[in-house]
Amino acid sequence: MTTAAYTVEELMACAVSRELREGELGFIGLGTGGRAFVMAVGIPTVAIRLAQLRGVDFIAQYGVKLEPLIEEAPACFTDADLLDWRCRAMIPVEDALDMFRRGMMDWGFVSGAQIDPYGNLNSVCIGEQKHPKVRLVGPIAQTDHCAHARHTMIILPHDRRAFVERVDFISGLGFGDGPGYRERFQHRGGGPGKVVTTLAVLGFNEKTRRMQVESLHPGVTRGEVETNTGFALAFPDPIPTTIPPTAEEIQLIRTRIDSKGLFLQAKVC
Amino acid sequence: MTLREAVALIKDGDSVAVGGHTLRRHPMAIIHEIIRQGRRNLKLLGWNSGIDMDMLIGAGCVASVETSYIGISAFGLALNFRRAAEGGRLKVIEHSETTGIDMFRATAMGMSFFPTKTPLGSDLMQANEHLAEVTCPFTGERYAAVKAARPDVAILHAHTADQYGNVQLDLQRWHDNSVDAILAKAARTVLVTVEQIVSDEEVLRNAHLTVLPRKFVTAVIEAPYGAHPTACDSRYDYDLEEVGKYYEASKSGDAFKGYLEERVLAPADHWAYLDAVGLERLMALTRQRVVR
Repeated sequence: MTTAAYTVEELMACAVSRELREGELGFIGLGTGGRAFVMAVGIPTVAIRLAQLRGVDFIAQYGVKLEPLIEEAPACFTDADLLDWRCRAMIPVEDALDMFRRGMMDWGFVSGAQIDPYGNLNSVCIGEQKHPKVRLVGPIAQTDHCAHARHTMIILPHDRRAFVERVDFISGLGFGDGPGYRERFQHRGGGPGKVVTTLAVLGFNEKTRRMQVESLHPGVTRGEVETNTGFALAFPDPIPTTIPPTAEEIQLIRTRIDSKGLFLQAKVC
Repeated sequence: MTLREAVALIKDGDSVAVGGHTLRRHPMAIIHEIIRQGRRNLKLLGWNSGIDMDMLIGAGCVASVETSYIGISAFGLALNFRRAAEGGRLKVIEHSETTGIDMFRATAMGMSFFPTKTPLGSDLMQANEHLAEVTCPFTGERYAAVKAARPDVAILHAHTADQYGNVQLDLQRWHDNSVDAILAKAARTVLVTVEQIVSDEEVLRNAHLTVLPRKFVTAVIEAPYGAHPTACDSRYDYDLEEVGKYYEASKSGDAFKGYLEERVLAPADHWAYLDAVGLERLMALTRQRVVR
């Protein structure tokens, strides 16, 4: 296997793609502009297509649209072009979201403004909900992803503003305050699966339910991750390195999957 | 009924469900007229909202919002919403997308609540007085009950209707807007603007396109480009130039007053608004011209 020069977004897409399995279904929601779009939409999209090109039958659901032809994604995200984007099914939104509640969704791809050690997410506010310091967009479908998906794939830029000891508002339930919390509500979804960041791949300890490092991206140090995380993290010993993209993967991303830079560079005309 | 007469049915303090989704097919012509008529203390309900609610908040019409999202898509946060919430002047009742739909679904199905597991264990249970925990009588499983919403008024924009108020949508449309018909079925008074009022013959020939039979509809008003600057499925795109102008103005309260004066208050009605936007811009957004 040969390796090639790659960007961190390409590395993240490859890391996510290695988690996707035959026959699974994954839900990608709304992306606001720029970096948030790359995290919420771009990286999962490229990851899914990479898995499909490896022969994995993975179904992507973008809200009401199922299985859009990713390589035909419109270069301009005008609404009419998005509506014309060919896909295999478009269903009423209440039916699309009920697929979560039915327990059919294997992966929910989510992001947020804050995450805590137990994988709880916040996209509602910084400070008090009734009188916030910063008001954010609201829970959107994050609450549904986190309650019902078999597991969530959380994709975030890694910094201290996002990785906090306690989120100011739980709009997406992770493991609550630790062991036993989630189970009390008999949710069908298993909660946080992986956290893929700009520095590392993280998972959750089965006993303590706390976030822990699984691998550091090539060239990233333990100190760098600790400096950029607002809570204590456990590290394995020795610490594995995230598998870098292969030359084949990079070629597929740049020539077929995302040749216009739409997904990983948020180049939208 | 004129748009002015229809909007006069909305009273200060009413609860108003607003159709549309992100930057898609919000009933903007009705919203402009609500601002012209100076309604106050409205309680807005929706499931996925944007410039529709942000504009009403910025115009001082709103006491509370109940939805899952208020943002200006790729532009970012909704800044009038942000200022009002951060200033403690706006009550925000938090929903997920599904519970935001469930509150209308319950009423549309003739029920007083809708059971769901979605918000259990999250802070939505505390930040939404219309959620309460219940137990399934058959399995003993824990659920949240979403209280049925019965808005005083629902406002939405659709493609066509006949003179009797049978409302139709084109086949080629976003299925995110399927909720429009559900929230209409939940409200006491339902006001619908349409791109075009069509002949009886047109509706009789294409009855499968009717999403709201007239029994659910109080008034239909013809308002071409009535969703502008939001998109209207395959008919016209969103007007990013206009949304950008809006977003810039919404960065300060004073600048936003200027925007409202120019775009909403100075034009006497929807036709004057369209004149102000200009035919060239509207034609550039148009993807499909339908002659019936």
